[in-house]
Amino acid sequence: MAEAVKEKILAVATITCTIDGQQITVPKGTSVFYAARQIGIVIPAFCNHDKLKPVGACRMCYVEIEKMPKLQVSCATTATDGMVVSTNSQQVREGRKAVIEFTLINHPLDCPTCDKGGECDLQDLTFSHGYDDSRFGFNKMRFIEEEKRDTFDDLKIGPEIVLNRNRCILCYKCVRANKEAFGEYDIGAFERGDLTEINATPGGEVSNPFSGNLVEICPVGALTNSDWRYKIRVWLTKTVPSICNFSGSGTNITFYKEDHKNFVYRVTARCNDAIDDGWLSDITRYGYQIVNSESRLKTPLIKKGGKQVKASWDQALAVIKKHMGEIKDQSGGVCIGGLISPSLDNASLYSFSKLFRTIFKSNNIDFRGDYRYLPSVTDSPFTIAASQPFSIADIEKSDVIITFGTDLIREHHNEYLKIRRAVNFFEATAYSVNPYAVKTADIAKSEMVYSPGTDELVINGICLAAIEKKLVDSSAAAKLKPKISKLSLSELTKQTGLGKEQFKELAEAISSAKKITFIVGEIVARSLERDKICAALSNLNKLFGVQDKGQLAVLSRYANSKGAQKLGLSATPYEIVKAELKKIWGEYPDCQPRNTDSMINLMKKEEIKGFITVGTNPMRLYPDRGFASEGLEHVDFLVACDMFETETTELADVVLPLCSWAEYDGDYINLEGKVQTGKQAIKPKYEAKAAFEIMELIASQSGVKLFENEQSRNEEIEQLLSLNSVLPWPDDFLEIDYDKKSSRDDYPVPLFICDDPHHSGHLTEKSPSLLNFSDSAYVELSKGMAAKIGVADGEPVRVESPVGKIVVPAKISRVLNSDVAIIPRNFSSTQTTSLLMRKKRVDSVKLTRVEE
Amino acid sequence: MILSEKTVKKINDKLSKYPKAKGMILPALTLAYKQLGYVDNEIYIEISEIINVPQLEIAEAASFYTMFPKKPRGKYLLQVCNNISCALLGADAMVDRLEEKLAIKRGETTDDGLFTLISVECLGSCCTAPMIQINDDFHENLTRQKLDELLEGLKNGK
Amino acid sequence: MTFYSPVVTNAKEIAGHEKLHLFEYVEDEKQYQLKRYLEHGGYAAWKTVLGKMKPEEVIEEVKKSGLRGRGGAGFPTGMKWSFVPKDSPKVRYLLCNADESEPGTCKDRVLMERDPHVVIEGMAIGAYAIGCHLMFCYIRGEFHHSIERIEKAMEEAYSKGHLGKNIYGSGYDLEMIVHTGAGAYMCGEETGLINSIEGEKGMARIRPPFPAIEGLWECPTIVNNVESLAAVPHIINRGADWYRSMGTEKSAGTKLFSLSGHINRPGNYEVELGFSLQKLIYDANYGNGISDGKKLKAVIPGGVSTPFLTPDKVDVPLDYESLTEAGSMLGSGGVIVLHEDTCIVWTILKLIKFFRHESCGKCTPCREGTGWLEQIIQKIEDGRGGPDDLEKLDSICGNILGRTICPLGDAAVMPIQSTLKHWRDEWQYHIEHKKCLVNQNFGF
Repeated sequence: MAEAVKEKILAVATITCTIDGQQITVPKGTSVFYAARQIGIVIPAFCNHDKLKPVGACRMCYVEIEKMPKLQVSCATTATDGMVVSTNSQQVREGRKAVIEFTLINHPLDCPTCDKGGECDLQDLTFSHGYDDSRFGFNKMRFIEEEKRDTFDDLKIGPEIVLNRNRCILCYKCVRANKEAFGEYDIGAFERGDLTEINATPGGEVSNPFSGNLVEICPVGALTNSDWRYKIRVWLTKTVPSICNFSGSGTNITFYKEDHKNFVYRVTARCNDAIDDGWLSDITRYGYQIVNSESRLKTPLIKKGGKQVKASWDQALAVIKKHMGEIKDQSGGVCIGGLISPSLDNASLYSFSKLFRTIFKSNNIDFRGDYRYLPSVTDSPFTIAASQPFSIADIEKSDVIITFGTDLIREHHNEYLKIRRAVNFFEATAYSVNPYAVKTADIAKSEMVYSPGTDELVINGICLAAIEKKLVDSSAAAKLKPKISKLSLSELTKQTGLGKEQFKELAEAISSAKKITFIVGEIVARSLERDKICAALSNLNKLFGVQDKGQLAVLSRYANSKGAQKLGLSATPYEIVKAELKKIWGEYPDCQPRNTDSMINLMKKEEIKGFITVGTNPMRLYPDRGFASEGLEHVDFLVACDMFETETTELADVVLPLCSWAEYDGDYINLEGKVQTGKQAIKPKYEAKAAFEIMELIASQSGVKLFENEQSRNEEIEQLLSLNSVLPWPDDFLEIDYDKKSSRDDYPVPLFICDDPHHSGHLTEKSPSLLNFSDSAYVELSKGMAAKIGVADGEPVRVESPVGKIVVPAKISRVLNSDVAIIPRNFSSTQTTSLLMRKKRVDSVKLTRVEE
Repeated sequence: MILSEKTVKKINDKLSKYPKAKGMILPALTLAYKQLGYVDNEIYIEISEIINVPQLEIAEAASFYTMFPKKPRGKYLLQVCNNISCALLGADAMVDRLEEKLAIKRGETTDDGLFTLISVECLGSCCTAPMIQINDDFHENLTRQKLDELLEGLKNGK
Repeated sequence: MTFYSPVVTNAKEIAGHEKLHLFEYVEDEKQYQLKRYLEHGGYAAWKTVLGKMKPEEVIEEVKKSGLRGRGGAGFPTGMKWSFVPKDSPKVRYLLCNADESEPGTCKDRVLMERDPHVVIEGMAIGAYAIGCHLMFCYIRGEFHHSIERIEKAMEEAYSKGHLGKNIYGSGYDLEMIVHTGAGAYMCGEETGLINSIEGEKGMARIRPPFPAIEGLWECPTIVNNVESLAAVPHIINRGADWYRSMGTEKSAGTKLFSLSGHINRPGNYEVELGFSLQKLIYDANYGNGISDGKKLKAVIPGGVSTPFLTPDKVDVPLDYESLTEAGSMLGSGGVIVLHEDTCIVWTILKLIKFFRHESCGKCTPCREGTGWLEQIIQKIEDGRGGPDDLEKLDSICGNILGRTICPLGDAAVMPIQSTLKHWRDEWQYHIEHKKCLVNQNFGF
């Protein structure tokens, strides 16, 4: 099978066949089903799915092929040269009619009370192909589990999924997608024959991070989710195309909205093969619920007598005018700073930058509130690595895929699935190289777990192994060797915990790759030594010529991180962007640039007196809570714009309600640099406004307009986006210095704070469905680690660092295999960042069992 | 662990011969059944840990095959072939007789836990029909008298 | 007990016979032991193959012999082997299909219990022919004694160097695993069997790709029946021409038939292909006539998957072509004899219950259709049949035939269709009179 699929993609060879009298030339290996589709003939099917291997189970896609006496299933029949196919002959129509009849004999026909009504494949195909009565004169099979019985035999099989086995027509798509596409094993088909039933793993539930897709691909109402069940009929909703706001890759989605209620009812996929293959993570699918949340900030708030009280926009703006005016007049605009979320659209980001740089004349802005200590330089190796081009679609075309310093299932769902697809369908070889075992490992040829904090040494090791094995150009090798040889290969193996063989294996994989994808992720981006690691990557790239035969980049994490980079939203934009801004504005502040970290520092010194946050929550996200809160508490005048009350808005003097991305048209640039538009689904809820409107209103308090009109704003943005924003790597190999690893005996366990697989950032905890999957923090431990401290799954653990401590339940991981601790950052009930120190290379903690 | 050390060792020995661990699902279930006389979810989990294959895959496979009952059965499992060759020679009447003698219906176990009676599909003993499989052993060319003797023998612990 | 099974064979007839060979030693109590097997010339073919023959020569010899698959489909064995791509860098697997579970068939079991080494030797030669170094013998789980015997024989073969590393100093390595089934008829279908070894449910796979190209673990795989493989050492020892001299032009060699049902002398008999069914049933050396002196009503010639033959067709020669011509199939060689007191509806109900029970559930027509058929037939059997039921049966059978992934769908409906054709009156009678046409009483 894999061979055939690979051939389909890679083959230059074609065949010509005739379908319903039309000649069509398709790549060799194409099935009749897809050949027909190319000329607009849609063959009906239940079990076929574009992104799964064909199984030929439902038998609905019969066609008649000349010289073949029997009907053939087109999904599993490869089109061949000279083949003559009929998709609508008498025999075909009768064959399909029979399949519909068989399919319906045990189907309950409870359409009036079924949520799938109106978008049910079985309804639609019965309508177009079936009988109008039934010859089946017996009682239909009915699954009833007495103790779990609910109306209509429904069975809850996961936090969101409800199963009705009576309706199931056994196309097996859910089970196949779960295994083939997601690598998940929580739903299966049990028993056999007509007693076969889909169900959750015994004793378990269907709760994987992609589980919502199973509902979406169900051709009938067998799998439904509580998100949508019994809320509205599909034909009463309208659809609006949009983009996921929780991921960096810009997953394409469709909003289902109802205008009178100004309500979004659900999100489904809007298949874009180049990005998402039509699969949504549950975060993407259920995250939209925050839009409808009752707990949204409804009006502006202003602080009166130490308490926040409701206010009108005019009142709030007047307060801002007064205080920001005072600061500006008395201390200068350089005493005003701001932090914005990289999930906001281009117009909002750009308006923010323009407000600060042209009205406040300040260079104190940043969009990276969750990255620890970032030096304020323009072209550090990290900035360069993060600016590199990347194509999600190219993952599939790569024969070697290396993921380095990234826990993809917590960072980049689309890429996670694309890699699985590359391996399972196109025979790519994947390597997972991380400081702890990650979920991608099950499809990786080799999983390499290195000691936390030795990232750059791993890269050096790969380079040295390549040099030793003479896998790379000798003159390049001679130049690089002295710069990274402070530690010998055997010393590196000692430090990193990887074996020589592993370095060699990676070196061989990279050098022999025909097309390579090298993904670097958040573990590197969030590291204090991100520049050093990226310098090592720069060497590796140059030594192997990685980008000459593929791609290597630090992937940007949020919905518009790339837009923020391109539009100059950091204190130190790319030089080319800075020059362009100067040109557009005719000015550019020449004061010192201050990024998040130095702004917080200056707050303490009372050199930053006014501060504006937009859609971000540094109090929760900045990886040193003590540092962040000390700073923010010192700020004289804090304005916080957000959709919800957060730790940051609580401190604010003025709180402004922010629109969600569903409430206005916005452009977002995904991690590939692709600009995509998210259309407005509903009117702004309550009194919320979009960030770009708010920026314009704040500017207007100074009697200035940021933009003449929308068009002039868009033109300025266009101008910036047209720049080539890929920074060149350094010409020479870089020296990688080596600091001795500090011993951390008191706090022996490396800690990683990251996203829960069902959450992203600080907003998703407002989605009830996502909370059903995961609603509070935990510390994820390997079985061995848990045994060492003597805790069982769910038992409380005290997690202590030099600066803080929290108590959370243990969660025993099936993936982790080393002594590390992972804690999600997504829940306001647990202050995870209180454990962190901004200038620490490896966060480490002490774990102890909490005695009852 | 419910699985004995001996069973685990047997599973591990066989595992080393298989090119892919998943291929060990059936052999492992079979070895577990031999020890316990049933295989349930707890066993799937134990096997999953030994051979490092998801529990789901083991549960799915186990549910498909008829030889992995989820609950223990009687000391003697009487499986009467009821397919055509045996049925032509009175297998139906034989099951009736067993039901009468054991005072249970097919699918049931006697109160003393000694016998479980089930009727099954062809056991590949067509030329020596009718037949019954008692635990591992086939008893072929049965007559009323032979069957009665067989039952008596088992009751008396022979 | 001398043998695990008291089953009757025609071994005595074969002793010294220059042609019949498969059953030559099955009445020898010690044939299952390596020592005795060697005394009878065992493993000579394996030695010849490893010492003197190239894999292509082995394939050529088996091709020339005209040996066809004995599991039911009758596909030429040598040709099947030649489909394994010569240039594939992947490993190859040879799987012996010992999942004998076609009702009416119990011949492979005799070979496994009484002459296990010949099965292993045949497997080894097949493995060598396709370049396989790890072969599996998939034995149905209920055959505890076959499993025991094959495993024991395998251990003996390993210990004396007939299997393992560098066999007979040839440099050829060959490992063997006995993989046991667990109660699923579908695993006798080759892709179901492959799935089962992989740890999957025994469900059929769509073809292409054919197993010879992508089978077990996506590697080239050959699945051969026990009886086919057991014939291979004899072909190597005595030559393709000798084998070809038996049977008919297109159906060469001998075949094992399991004779069961209403017959005086049920048993397993080896005869040349083309042997008369009439003789097999009535000759004193074989079936010795219908039991209780009754008249013959019908014969199922090749296991329950094959259409029923009426008494007027009983003189048909037992070979692939003749049976097809007579409207049935040679199948697995499970000949089931029904005498005059057998109710056709009752018989078909037995069969459809079996097929419904064994349908894997993957494709719609078989999964839903077998259940529907069973319910209608049960209704007729219970005397609740309706006037349109036969037409409905015709139509449902037609909607399953040729429309499923694997042959189980066809197997389920072809016997029904044959009885609806030849015994329609009896079906009709059952519906109208709410009871059997015959006075059936199969006492015990």
